[in-house]
Amino acid sequence: MAISADHVGRRYPPTSPYQVSAAKIAEFAHALGDEDSAYAGEKPIAPPTFVAVISSTAWESMFADPELGLARRRTVHGDQRFSYRRPLRAGDAVTATLTIDRVRSRGSADIISCSADVETVGGELICTAETTFLHTHETDA
Amino acid sequence: MLDGRSVSVGDRLPSLTVRFTRANLVRYAGASTDFNPIHFSDHYAAKMGLPGVIAHGMLTMGTALRVVTQWLGDPARVRSYFVRFTNPVLVPDDADGTEVTFGGVVEVVEDALVTIAIEATSRGTKVLGAARAVVDLAD
Repeated sequence: MAISADHVGRRYPPTSPYQVSAAKIAEFAHALGDEDSAYAGEKPIAPPTFVAVISSTAWESMFADPELGLARRRTVHGDQRFSYRRPLRAGDAVTATLTIDRVRSRGSADIISCSADVETVGGELICTAETTFLHTHETDA
Repeated sequence: MLDGRSVSVGDRLPSLTVRFTRANLVRYAGASTDFNPIHFSDHYAAKMGLPGVIAHGMLTMGTALRVVTQWLGDPARVRSYFVRFTNPVLVPDDADGTEVTFGGVVEVVEDALVTIAIEATSRGTKVLGAARAVVDLAD
């Protein structure tokens, strides 16, 4: 099977809840070389792109979907958008739910647009992370 | 935040230059849990047809936003952020790594919403395309 426009609208179950911790926020901010005080202390917010830690786990269900025939190693991250309702904070327990929004075929590749809604376990939408992947078909060459 | 300074289209934000070394990539891999070996293994990168180990796109994206949040003084005001990953940032296994320079310019001011166009350049090449962050300056 191969991914096609027929799969647009496919929505996967939410990921297991992820508990945002002050320690992980500090580790992530440090990895970005970011000393902003908002990311430190007992009740920090997360750097805006921290959302990717959670939203990227939602991709796994799509890559594991046998009907789509996708391979991670033939996939390139083309672009990324985050739309925020509020920052993630230490103490948030969140899930990510992935939807396939658009599939376009370009010769030997598919351009796949998907979005992950990152919500608290209480159902509050925090951020939508939209991603475009370029997926190259398998060749014998 | 911004200490009451007015914001006008064309304002340039203070630029930021960083150096990505292999140590930075390993640290980001752990922090983000993105352990794709193209970000630390020359052997695997070559197998994938890459000229060498490349930085995580999300490391470049996350670092680029520092230009905006440092200028803003409050990262909670970021409403949206988009980048296109146009060129990979090659990071050699040496002490110097690769220098990346980030800049930003105010592109749109619409009431309290301000759009910043972000530039990211490494070795003379643009590594992010169409990068935009929208921030909310409302009280």
